[in-house]
Order: sequence, then C-alpha cells, then structure tokens
Amino acid sequence: MKYVDEFRDAELGRVLSSEIVATVEPGRHYKIMEVCGGHTHTIYKYGVDDLLPENVELVHGPGCPVCVIPMGRVDDGIAIARREEVILTCFGDMMRVPGGSGTFLEAKAEGADIRMVYSPLDALRIARENPEREVVFFAVGFETTAPSTALTLKRAKQDGVPNFSVVSNHVTIVPPLRALLESPDLRLDGFIGPGHVSTVVGARPFEFIPADYGRPIVVAGFEPLDLLQSVYMVLRQLAEGRCEVENQYSRVVPYDGNPAALAVLQEVFELRPHFEWRGLGFISHSGLKLSEAYADFDAELRFGAPGVRVADPKACQCGEVLKGVIKPWECKVFGTACTPERPIGTCMVSSEGACAAYYNYGRFARSKELV
Amino acid sequence: MSCVDCHCITCSDEAVRMLVVEADASGLARCETPDGERSDVMTDLVGDVAPGDALLVHAGTALARAA
Repeated sequence: MKYVDEFRDAELGRVLSSEIVATVEPGRHYKIMEVCGGHTHTIYKYGVDDLLPENVELVHGPGCPVCVIPMGRVDDGIAIARREEVILTCFGDMMRVPGGSGTFLEAKAEGADIRMVYSPLDALRIARENPEREVVFFAVGFETTAPSTALTLKRAKQDGVPNFSVVSNHVTIVPPLRALLESPDLRLDGFIGPGHVSTVVGARPFEFIPADYGRPIVVAGFEPLDLLQSVYMVLRQLAEGRCEVENQYSRVVPYDGNPAALAVLQEVFELRPHFEWRGLGFISHSGLKLSEAYADFDAELRFGAPGVRVADPKACQCGEVLKGVIKPWECKVFGTACTPERPIGTCMVSSEGACAAYYNYGRFARSKELV
Repeated sequence: MSCVDCHCITCSDEAVRMLVVEADASGLARCETPDGERSDVMTDLVGDVAPGDALLVHAGTALARAA
C-alpha cells in the first residue's frame, strides 16, 4: 500500500540504523522521549529500539489518553451510568480502566447500561434511536480526538438531540509536556512529537520546547521507518548543535495545523483552570470542558457528577512510568499483581500504554534478563 | 476492548487510512478500510470529498487527506 509499505522496508531500516550509529557520540547516553502512545506501540510491535545503538534510549511519555485518566473521573462516569435513564457510551479501552469504585466493565456486569462505541457519532446515533433514554458519551483523548467530539456536539445542537450529552475528559498536549520539562527528576535530550495530534494543532505549538528548554523535537509518523528517521533527525540536530522543531510527518502534518479543526475546538470547548492527570497530578489549563454555548450538552452539569478525587493505588508507579523516570518493568507490580487482564495502573490497560506494550510484545522477559 | 495486535482505532493518536465510497452533502461520507470495513465518517475538516479519495480517519472524523 502506498505510504505504508515503503515505510516498513527492512533494508531502508538497516541503512537508517547505520546512519544513527555513525551520528551518535560514543560514550554519551541519549534519552529521547516519544510523547505519543501510538509511537510506543509501533516501537515495540516492530522492535524499532532493537535497531538503535545501546546508548540511545527511548523513553515513553504521557501520550496515551486512557493512561492519564484519574480514578475519580472513572467514578464520575460510573455514577452517571448507574442512573436508570442513562446509556453511557465510551471507547473500548475505557472499559477496564480502574476507578475507586471499580471499572465500567464491572458496573456493566452489575446492570449499568454501558456500551462501547467506535466514535462519538455512534453515540449520537444511539441517542437518536433511544429518545426516551439519556445517552452520555464519556469522551477521552487529546486534540486528535477532541474535534470528533466537537463535530458530533455541533450536529446534536443543530439537529436538536436533547437526550445527548458528553462528559469531557479531553486534554491538551502542550501543558503536560511543559510540566514534564519542569520536572527536576527528568533528563531528556530530545522529543519525538505526536503525529496525529499535530494534524490538528500543527507543529508550531511545540516551538516552546527548543525556545524555552533547549531541546529538539521532531514530529513523527507512525510507521517503523517514520520513527527510525525521526530518531535520526533528533540525533542529527544534537550532533550539529541545532535545536528546533522539525516535521518528519509533513506528508500529513501542516506546520500550522488544521484551521477548521482548531475553529471547531474553539467553538465547542474551553480550557478548564486545572485538570488532574493520573501520575502527574493537577496541571493548569490542560483539560477541555464544554463551552458556555454547549453547556446544555455537558453531562457533568446535567447529572451532577460527584467529582471526588481518588488517590492512585500506592503500589502503582504509573506516574514515574509516564514521566519516563522508570521503565515499565522497573515498577514493583509490573507483570505480577498488574497485568493486562487485571490492571492496577492505567498504563497496563490500553494497548498504547507503555506497560501493556512492554508486556504484550515480550519485553517483560527480555528486560528482566537485562537486570 | 483493547487489542494486542492492533491499535484501538478510537484510542491514542491512531488514524486509519480509509477510502471514500459515497459522500453526501451533510459532511458525512461512507468510507471503507483496507480490510473492507465500512463506517460513516465526518468530513468537515477536509472539505469536499469524492468516491476514491483517501482519508486519515480517527474516531469517526477525517483529520487529513492521505496520499
């Protein structure tokens, strides 16, 4: 397939790999964070890190939207779902995310009407088909996903679908990156920037990373060679003493983003003063709630979500994993008490989560051997 | 549920390449994945589309045109 096969070419991969070896300084250890969970998934699915020299380490960032959902928000969703009139809809990965009072899957087993959907548009269809019920979409995701929720809300408003509403857990990518860069226990040499978030926001919002923090960032695509080339581009910048935003994924990402997407986000959402991120705590202006114009569709207002903060389980080290301070297998409960079947932390829930990616692709066994 | 061998298409930063099968005037298009799965896609962010156009689709919305 065009733009797929050529980005999985093994020979090109070997060429890039040798270019990388020639670029790095022997004796220097490089830490590069891939921000996006999709990138983490690709790296372990295709073994991209096996093609890197030992002194180039990839660190997994906070870019899995499921992994950063705090327990209290899951409890809010369950409280709404338990109302008799409500059908709660959500993406599949949300079903097993643990809250303080269980998971959506457990609430469903206990009788709550919780349904998995593939898009907010599916949730709106369910609302149209069930006018006697209240249909709530439990929205998660970065700027990649938020336009879909926004466009669906526009349709709901335009068509007058009064029994549809949204719990918005949408988050934005820049504030957590800034929080990570401010973190004293983090040492990173550069970033692999999120490709599909950037189709919406563009590459320009990442200019603060080289400007304020002196680190290079390369916005990357999702095929194995995209990632390998992006690692090479970060290392080239470091070798040449440059520090800038580069766009490896220019076949899809416009530098200034998608104006129509940015406009609909502006219309439908507004920034929350604070939003809690699992493992990272409260980050200012990092979450999106429905704007005044769409307040009638805000399920938190309509149903009065409890909004109780629940502390993360003590054994869980998702925070350190999300900040790249420890590798997943260094967590005390990784692969023992915490597995994809029975996750304690959210990084083990989603296939994009760093722990699940390690676990599912056999990194558990290999990494343990390296201890 | 989460899947081991592929992304959950609605989660994280994933976008799926789909071909337009049929478009209507309301900003919706019937699209098909390479595996032949069809679904409705909102095309508001990419302008007018026609059958055969390739789109990058995330959570039921076309984010960009694919080459």
